[in-house]
Amino acid sequence: MFPEKTSTSLAIFCKVVDNFGDIGICWRLARQLQSEHGVAVTLWVDDLKTFQRICPPVATDSETQEVAGVTIRHWRDQEGVFAPADVADIVIEFFGCDIPPGYIAAMVEREPRPVWLNLEGLSAEEWVEGCHTLSSPHPRLPLTKYFYFPGFTGKTGGLLRESALEDQRRQFQSDPAQVAAFLARFGVTPEEMAARKVSLFCYPHAPVRELFDTWQAGAAPVLCLVPEGVAADAVRAFIGADPVAGAARTQGALTVRVLPFVPQPDYDKLLWACDLNFVRGEDSIVRAQWAGRPFVWHIYPQDENLHHKKLRAFLQRYSPDIDSANAFNLLWNGAMGEDASVADAWRPFQEDMERIAGRSAEWQAQMLANGDLVSNMLKFAASKR
Amino acid sequence: MKPAKEIRVGNIIMVDSKPMIVLRSDVNGSSRTGFTYKWKMKNLLTNSPMENVFRGDDKFDVVVLDKKPVTYSYFADPLFVFMDEEYNQYEIEEENLGEALNYLKDGMECEAVFYDGKAISVELPTTIQRVVAYAEPAVKGNTSGNVLKEAKLENAIESKRHTIQVPLFVSQDDTIEVDTRTNEYKRVVRN
Repeated sequence: MFPEKTSTSLAIFCKVVDNFGDIGICWRLARQLQSEHGVAVTLWVDDLKTFQRICPPVATDSETQEVAGVTIRHWRDQEGVFAPADVADIVIEFFGCDIPPGYIAAMVEREPRPVWLNLEGLSAEEWVEGCHTLSSPHPRLPLTKYFYFPGFTGKTGGLLRESALEDQRRQFQSDPAQVAAFLARFGVTPEEMAARKVSLFCYPHAPVRELFDTWQAGAAPVLCLVPEGVAADAVRAFIGADPVAGAARTQGALTVRVLPFVPQPDYDKLLWACDLNFVRGEDSIVRAQWAGRPFVWHIYPQDENLHHKKLRAFLQRYSPDIDSANAFNLLWNGAMGEDASVADAWRPFQEDMERIAGRSAEWQAQMLANGDLVSNMLKFAASKR
Repeated sequence: MKPAKEIRVGNIIMVDSKPMIVLRSDVNGSSRTGFTYKWKMKNLLTNSPMENVFRGDDKFDVVVLDKKPVTYSYFADPLFVFMDEEYNQYEIEEENLGEALNYLKDGMECEAVFYDGKAISVELPTTIQRVVAYAEPAVKGNTSGNVLKEAKLENAIESKRHTIQVPLFVSQDDTIEVDTRTNEYKRVVRN
């Protein structure tokens, strides 16, 4: 627990680059810091419209507002003059976004100087352990920043997880009526409830059409729930109409339903309610891990296919002995070569689903042992004050 | 000012008004922020080592240092002694020599780098020739292709002999040309 719980202030600077992932992570972080640790959080964010998609109470035209106990500031540009009193005790720049020079100048003037963290991206690669919590002295100013890495081992900061999350999940998943009622909100019928339920969230280049073809031709019924705007071309082609929320169609063994874009708590429930989750980027893969269900990760693409390296590092930790899971994840991310087909990779993956589900549970226990990112980060910040 | 991604081992940079020599740089792919640079550095004023991490676009003042041609003379444990044309001797610590140590040879010509009047490191020519001290025998008929094997190079300190990858046709006692920036084999030197 942070020693100065009641008086600690913290600023998070977030630039929205990858759609909902950046603000998704920062919003979870902000809420947990505020609600579980009593930290006074100011979240600076440059794109309030995207923020509003995952958190509807956010007003897009407000310079400063308070939502769920968190102060939200519209980060319009790099201009601005700040006083030392404007600077928080802990300053987090998310994903190395450049915080305004005026704010940095005020950090120098502040006594004591704030603990400055660069919260980096999630990676299972080994080098992360060697860089986690390392200092990064400012080239010209008497300020030190620390790199802080979330991760999958005890030598990293762990993963974002609210303290009540596990209980909430267990309670939800053990209550079929609650699951059915939740899915019924999206038009899921009792017949569809009996199918293999899959949530689909991916970047546009995922081979969704091939996946739909495979499921459609399969023997087992599949219900695919896809948020509006995701895989729009493939969904439009399957449904034969605009893929707006509420649209649905069954062809062969596959039913595709388009969901409205749901706020974060409902997205968790969607992951908990499904038998298999296709997730993308950083925020949703972490939530999929806490869901305790098999998942397929569409990783944020990087130049020179660096994301394939990251994906392989994750698979090496997560499923070193489950070839079918590794092959399907690699294929989904275009890392299996042009000859590999979705249908060929899906068959063994489907057959191994029970085993993969077992692994999900073991993995979750392993991740819980690393503690949670927010608590670990506050402990580290306290050690630097 | 230079971004971190352009800083090389051996460069002297100013960090919070302190001159630091970069002794080692590990570059790692990160998320979308690009690469992460983990540097082992040494404060030239206090000799204290540091290990830090930077983003590729963090910008540093690079200190342009005086340089002077010198030749390697001898090893006076734990210092390496170099001499200029006027027979002035300069002692440099092993740690500061970095990768130059791999190619150090008696009488070798290089450039000593000075900070505040003190020799702090050496810079090697871009390409140098070295004799292969040890390599597995050449394979008959294998004169081209991409298959490589390890070869140890002759240098001043046997325990520091450097191993590089060479084509299979390179033999012990061959003289080869090496790019000191990349530690890569360039060609066999035929007399």
